Amino acid sequence: MNKIFIIIRREYLTRVRKKTFIISTLLFPLLYLALIFGMGFIAEKSKQSLHVALIDSSGYFTAPLLSKENLADDNSVITLVDKNADSVMADHKKAGYDGYIIVPAINWKQGAPLLFKANKAYGRSSTAAVEAKLNTIWTAIKKDSLQIDSLKQDILNQRLMVTPKNIQDETANAQYAEAIGYICGFLIYLILLIYGSQVMMGVMEEKTNRIAEVIVSSVKPFQMMLGKILGIGLVALTQFLLWIAFVLIIYNVGKASGNTGMASDMVGKMQQIFTSVNVPLILFCFGFYFLAGFFFYASLYGAIGSAVNEDMREAQSLSFPVTMLVIISIAMMSAAIADPTGPIAVWGSIIPFSSPIVMMARIPFGVPGTVPWWQLILSMSVLILSFTFTVWFAGKIYRTGILMYGKKPTWKELMKWAFRKN
Amino acid sequence: MALLELQNLKKYFGTQKAVDDISLTVEKGQIFGLLGPNGAGKTTLIRMITGIFYPDEGQIIFDGKKFDPIKDVGYIGYMPEERGLYKKMKIGEQAMYLAQLKGLSHSDAQSKIKKWFARFEMDSWWNKKVEDLSKGMGQKLQFVTTVLHEPKLIILDEPFSGLDPVNSNLIKDEIFNLAQGGSTIIFSTHRMEQVEEICNHIVLVNKGKKILDGTVKGIKQDFKENIYSVGMNQPLSQVPATAPFELTGHIEDRHVIRIKEGSGPNEVLRYLLDQGGSIHSFNEILPSLNDIFIKLVEGTPTARQFQPVHA
Repeated sequence: MNKIFIIIRREYLTRVRKKTFIISTLLFPLLYLALIFGMGFIAEKSKQSLHVALIDSSGYFTAPLLSKENLADDNSVITLVDKNADSVMADHKKAGYDGYIIVPAINWKQGAPLLFKANKAYGRSSTAAVEAKLNTIWTAIKKDSLQIDSLKQDILNQRLMVTPKNIQDETANAQYAEAIGYICGFLIYLILLIYGSQVMMGVMEEKTNRIAEVIVSSVKPFQMMLGKILGIGLVALTQFLLWIAFVLIIYNVGKASGNTGMASDMVGKMQQIFTSVNVPLILFCFGFYFLAGFFFYASLYGAIGSAVNEDMREAQSLSFPVTMLVIISIAMMSAAIADPTGPIAVWGSIIPFSSPIVMMARIPFGVPGTVPWWQLILSMSVLILSFTFTVWFAGKIYRTGILMYGKKPTWKELMKWAFRKN
Repeated sequence: MALLELQNLKKYFGTQKAVDDISLTVEKGQIFGLLGPNGAGKTTLIRMITGIFYPDEGQIIFDGKKFDPIKDVGYIGYMPEERGLYKKMKIGEQAMYLAQLKGLSHSDAQSKIKKWFARFEMDSWWNKKVEDLSKGMGQKLQFVTTVLHEPKLIILDEPFSGLDPVNSNLIKDEIFNLAQGGSTIIFSTHRMEQVEEICNHIVLVNKGKKILDGTVKGIKQDFKENIYSVGMNQPLSQVPATAPFELTGHIEDRHVIRIKEGSGPNEVLRYLLDQGGSIHSFNEILPSLNDIFIKLVEGTPTARQFQPVHA
C-alpha cells in the first residue's frame, strides 16, 4: 500500500473515532436549531408588558376605543385617566402604572410628539406596542374625518413594487439565491477556520511529541504533510456528508408525515429551493471550492504548525495573517451578495484567497446569468494553480520546520526556507 | 563487505559547514560508533544516511548500490535522539502504523509485533495508550518500533538516555543479538563507556570533520603513552635519571610509570628486579576512549562557531 494512504488512514480514523467528532457532528445541527429557536424564544420573553396611563386633553382617545385595542393586543394595557390625573403624575408607581402619556389638545390634522414618562429607562422597542395602539386609533380618527372608506383605503394602500428578476436565468430567485449563497459561503468559512487550525494543531502535536523525525525516516516530509491535509480534509467531508444526510432524512420524514404544520411548510420551502436553483451545479462547485480552498489554507496552516514549537501563542501570532485572509473573505462575501456582479464580487471570486467563499456565495445567483462561465473557469484554474503553489511552498517550509526546535522563526526566515534550493 | 560507504559527504546550512567532507565505511555486522561532541555534525550525517537530507556533495553507497532514499529507507531503522510517539494512540496500533510505514504488510507487521512484545514482556500493553507508559517503557516500545522491520542497518542515536540499568542491559543485549543476526548497527553517542563496551569500530567527528577512524583496540594502541602500573612490595621513592622510566603517580598501592622513549617493558622489569624488589603485578594502562575523546576535542569551542563557506 502506498505510504501516503497509510498516513491518510491514520489521520482520518483517529479523528473520526474520537468522541468529539461524533458529538460535534450530532450537536452542531442541534445547536444551530437551538440558536434559531432560542433567539426567537428570548425575543418573545424579553418583550415587556407595559401598563400605561393616558391623560388625554384632546378628547380623541376615549375609554371604549382604548379597551377595544387592549383586547386586540394584551402586550400592553393603556388606561384612560382623567379624574385622578394629578395623583398619577405625582406617583405613577403607587397608582399602579409603569408610566404615563399626556396627550395635549391636538387637532386631527396635526399630530404632536408624545412622551412616555416613567421613573426608569425604557428602550424604544418596549414602547412600540403602545405606539402602535395609539396610531391605530389615530389613523381611524383621521380616516373618519377625511371620509375615507375601505374602498378608498384599498386604493391608497396600492403600491408599486420592484422585484429583481434575472432575465438571463429565468429560474433564479434572488431571495433563495441570497440565502443559499450566504449559507454556502459561511460553511466554507467555518470549515477553513476549524479544519485549517486542526491541521496546524496536528502538525504541532507531531513536533511536540517528537515523533516527526521518526516518521520522516520512513516517508518524505511532503508525503507526511499531504497525508495529514488529505486525511483531515476527508474528516471535514465526512462531517459534511453526514449533515447533508440529516437534512435529506428530515426532508423525507417531513414529506412522509404529510401536510401537517411546520413539517410540510419546511418541505414545501425546500422543494421551492430545489427547483429555483441549479442544485447539481451548486453541489459540484461547493465540493470543488470546499476542497480547493481547504488545500490552499490547510497547507499554509500546516507550514505554520511545522515552524512553531509547542507554544500556542507563537502559533497564533504566526497564523494571524492567514486567519485574517479568511475573515476578510467573509466580509467581501457580504458585499458580493448585496451586489453579485459588482467589482468586489467579481475580483473577490477570482483572487484565490477569497474565491472559495466569495464565488460560492455568487454561484446560487445563477451560472451563466450572474457568474459568466469564463469567470467560473478562471476562478477555478487560478485556485488550482494557487493551491498547487501553496502546497509546494508549505512542503518546503514543513521539511525544514518539522525538524527544527528552538526559536520561533519569522516570516522572513520561512521565506528563506521555502526558496532554498534543496 | 561494506554495507554502507560514505564518500566525501558535504552538507552546508547557510554559512555553517555541518558536515564537511566526511568519508567512512561501515562493514556488515559491525557495531559502529559514531562519536562527537554536541553540534559536531553527527545528526546531520545520520539524517543524510536515513534519507531525510540530501547531501550537497558526495555520495552514499548502500549495500553495494547508490543509496536511493525512497526504496532503501525500508532497510533502515532509525531511532533519533529527538524521539517520541503519538501520545493518544494505542500502543499496538502505533507499532502497526510505524511498521506499515516501513513497508510491512498488515499480517507481517502483526506477527512481528507480537513476537517482539512477547520478548520484552509487553503483551498486555497492546490496548494501552503511550501516555500511560513510563519513560522507560516508552523507550522500549520505541526500540521495538525501530527494529521491527528487520532492517539491515539500524541507527541508534543515544539509545540509552532515560533508561534505568536493567532496561539498558536489556536493550544492550538486544543490540548484540541483532548484530549477531547479521544487522549492522550505527551507534551515535557521547557516552564513551558504552562505546568501549559495545562498539568494534568507531569514528570521531568534530566540527563537521572526521578526526579519528579505527577499531577501539587500534585506537587505544595508537594513543597509548607507554604508561604501566607496577605493584611491588617496596616503595619506589627515588628514581634516578638513568632509569628507563619515570614515576608519574600512584593508583592505590601501585606505582604508575611512563617508559621513556627507546626503552621497553623488558628494560623496566630488568631494572626493577636489579633493585631487588619483588614484583606482583605489571600492567599496561591504555587510555580510555573518554581520555582520547577529551584530548582530541578539548580546546575546540563547545558551541560551534559559524565558519565562512568558501564554495
